[in-house]
Amino acid sequence: MRRRKRMLEDLDQDIRDHIEMETRDNIERGMSPEEARYAALRKFGNVTRVKEETREVWSFVWLEQLLQDLRYGVRMLRKSPGFTAVAVLTLALGIGANTAIFSMVDWLILRPLPVAKAEQITSLALQEISGGYSNGFSYPDFEDIRDQSTAVFSQVAGVQPWEMDGLSTEGRDEPIWTSYVTGNFFETMGVKPALGSFILPMLGRSVNDEPVLVLGYSFWETHFSGDPNIIGKSVSINGHPVTIIGVAPKGFHGITPIMDTQGYLPLGMARVTSDLKSNFATDRKSAAVAIVARLRPGMKLREAQPALNVIARRLSAQYPATDKLAAIRVYPLGPIGPPSDPTAPNMIRLMGAFFMILAGLVLILACLNVANLLLARASARQREMAVRAAIGGGRSRLIRQLLTESLLLALLGCAGGIALGLVSSHWLSSINLKTVIPVTLDFQFDWRVFAYAFGAALLTGLLAGIVPALRATRVNLNSVLHESARTATAGHQRTRSALVVAQVGGSLMLLIVAGLFVRSLLNIKHSNLGFDPSRVLNFTIDPHGAGYDEAQARDFLHSLLHRVRALPGVETASFATTVPLGYYSFGMELKIEGYQPPPGHGAPSAGYNAVSPEYFGTMHIPIVRGRGILDSDGQTSARVAVINEAMAKRYWHGENPIGRRFIKIDDPKHPVEIVGVAGNSRTRNISSPFGPYMYVPFAQHYETPVTLQLRTSLPPGTMGHEVVSVIHSLAPAMPVFDIQTMTEALDTLNGLMLFQFGAALAASLGILGFLLALVGVYGVVSYAANQRTHEIGIRMALGAQPGDVRKFILKQGLYVVAAGLGLGLLLSLAASRIVGNFLVGVRGTDPLTYAIVAALLTTVALAACYIPARRAMRVDPMVALRHE
Amino acid sequence: MSTKEQNERIALLQGTLDLLILRTLLLGPAHGHAIAKTIEFNSDDVLQVEQGSLYPALHRLIKRRWISVEEGTSENNRRAKFYRLTAKGRRQLVVETSKWDKLAGAIARILRPAEQEGKS
Repeated sequence: MRRRKRMLEDLDQDIRDHIEMETRDNIERGMSPEEARYAALRKFGNVTRVKEETREVWSFVWLEQLLQDLRYGVRMLRKSPGFTAVAVLTLALGIGANTAIFSMVDWLILRPLPVAKAEQITSLALQEISGGYSNGFSYPDFEDIRDQSTAVFSQVAGVQPWEMDGLSTEGRDEPIWTSYVTGNFFETMGVKPALGSFILPMLGRSVNDEPVLVLGYSFWETHFSGDPNIIGKSVSINGHPVTIIGVAPKGFHGITPIMDTQGYLPLGMARVTSDLKSNFATDRKSAAVAIVARLRPGMKLREAQPALNVIARRLSAQYPATDKLAAIRVYPLGPIGPPSDPTAPNMIRLMGAFFMILAGLVLILACLNVANLLLARASARQREMAVRAAIGGGRSRLIRQLLTESLLLALLGCAGGIALGLVSSHWLSSINLKTVIPVTLDFQFDWRVFAYAFGAALLTGLLAGIVPALRATRVNLNSVLHESARTATAGHQRTRSALVVAQVGGSLMLLIVAGLFVRSLLNIKHSNLGFDPSRVLNFTIDPHGAGYDEAQARDFLHSLLHRVRALPGVETASFATTVPLGYYSFGMELKIEGYQPPPGHGAPSAGYNAVSPEYFGTMHIPIVRGRGILDSDGQTSARVAVINEAMAKRYWHGENPIGRRFIKIDDPKHPVEIVGVAGNSRTRNISSPFGPYMYVPFAQHYETPVTLQLRTSLPPGTMGHEVVSVIHSLAPAMPVFDIQTMTEALDTLNGLMLFQFGAALAASLGILGFLLALVGVYGVVSYAANQRTHEIGIRMALGAQPGDVRKFILKQGLYVVAAGLGLGLLLSLAASRIVGNFLVGVRGTDPLTYAIVAALLTTVALAACYIPARRAMRVDPMVALRHE
Repeated sequence: MSTKEQNERIALLQGTLDLLILRTLLLGPAHGHAIAKTIEFNSDDVLQVEQGSLYPALHRLIKRRWISVEEGTSENNRRAKFYRLTAKGRRQLVVETSKWDKLAGAIARILRPAEQEGKS
């Protein structure tokens, strides 16, 4: 650029010098000065043109033309504000929806953890010989892995990621979600305290159990009003005094970033404040900690895996009784925390992809709409284009100019879309998910989101602009300039109709997919659980936390059941050690006589829940064979179990399993007899196939904490208080938490939370696509009617009745809509093959959804045709004929 | 379209002029007027270059970095811009010359038989 300026500055002088030299030469040859100068000038040629050509050598022609196009485009857009407003709004809606969805995908999938060198952070999962996955490692295993993997990991930390504790501050009690961590946790994650210090690194092999607490940043802000003097303050966790020593940095939410960890305690503290067994540091059977590890600088994930394979082999050889490890696998730690089963399809990824596709479809619909508007304008601007072509505008130059206009629209739409996206993602962030867990919906816009929005806008501008630009510039100068504009628009009309067909088709597909999705979510919610969550109220109580031993706890639970059954409004009462789709579940390995695992499968295993009698009545889980758990299945009587249908099918191949026995690997002395078969129900997650599961009597399988579950005849929400006071009248110090209805309890990440969120999103996208289709159909039909005002006038002058005109216009709309519906059905059938993979309880070709959506779209599209048809009907023939 | 044909003719002329400038500068740096004179003189005034068109060509060559420009004094002690062939320009001259030879040869081969046929 600078070179250009310098070169051109001297040009005038150079030319003057040149002419002067030539003049002098001429004088030397004997010409008179005047003659000489004249000859020199003639020989030099047109000075102005030379300057211009020279300047052009240095100019960025395309840039200057672009500025020219932009200026012209702005002028054109300002000249028709109505068109501009509609087009920009349409694009803003499309881009806004995309941006909002993308900001969620960004948050759920793309955005790295807010820690230093986030790509080094990994989590470990262990694969058992039985084939199952888990991320719960025993503490001794954690220590072995930590000590033996120093070649690949610079730090290895153990975490109990998700505990709910009671925090008491100056007489005020509130729940706090905590992680119990090893001393090097914060160092491993690479975060520095916002205030105070962090839990001290572990010294030697001792387990850190200092009574200290680090608060999460937002918890500190909301519950301690950001008190800067908080350090050193004494509070209590589950009745045990602890000292606040630090505050985690802002934006750091622990190892499950989408749920806010509100407090961090030393792992050893879990022995006193939580239910970690006192011998956990030496017990290889317990699943005490999840493991997060930081890769050494430069180390790749796949380079770490072989080292872990070696450790897994070593551990299983060394401790064959407890460590049945097939492998230890290493995974990057993503925003949703360590996966419990890394082989399961990642629902969040699938959903993210699904919604990006839906949003993309909405954007395409918006493009079609704008393309349509541009085409309509193109026919109005045909004369302008013809004139410009006639005075020497090349086609490519005209196309470039039209594309500049559509890109300008897209950029305006992009600005609007980002604004809309900000508003809607703010709204999405503030959605009350009605969960007790502190979900952090943090859809802030980072550079990825802006880049995405900008990219989407550019693409939109090109897509929406290219067809109209190609069409508008393909003009036959003669016909346009000589004939009336009316006759030259048939081609445009065809293109426009094709666009509307595509649009109706696309919206039909969008609506059908959204509809299927919403229906499938309703199915999950209502019929597919295998139990009935309505009117069930849960209370999790922890006798161990209250200092009860097993015998005391049994007594307490016995009288508690007795007392709550007497409460008015309680139909049945029972307790269980796990809640379906809750945050933890149990499983065990079995020995089954006569069962030979198929090659490639591990030893038989089953998930289990220890329940009291009446559990099946409370949960409405049907007993399909045999009996349920009875009071007579006591501590000393023969071990029994009720298995689910999936277990009966897998291990007894559909034969009657009642009376068959199996052995729990943990307790080989007491064979278990199957006394009943229960219907399949959702236990661990909502969508994968039912696996083997069994129910054992709580009396024969003591474990704490337990969840008291009541089926009530009153609205369950009203009874919480009364039940808690009953519990406390029996045991004043008993910790009671997770007081929620079963429906609320399903709002977990394993359960329905994502699905509910998804249903709302799918529905909003469907509605958006629907509106866009509506605008499109209305636009094209009313435009066609307008274009035909002249023709309608002639028809009416020749005696056509208004009814005929209406029919004629409606018919035109109908053809377009019918063709669109046909296309849409084909598209939907094609899409259903993919969509069908994550639908529950409804097929991808569900006729009801198809019929409802098609009928709805047809009705509304016809209504959109009707308005222009009515207007056409009222045309005054005289006015119409004079209309030019 | 007439403009298009004109453009092509100019393009051909431009290329040729570029080649002539490069060839002239092979003898040593020169200022604009001297280049014009040399071309005229060496072509026995057959090529009547419109002297002005030299300047866009010179600037084009500068932009491509085939020639460089420096301040100097002309034969009558006036400050003037001297244009000098760069190493890149020297290489380009070889390329352009061989291109020109090929082109000229090709045209000659086409024209001669055509002449003969025309006569017979």
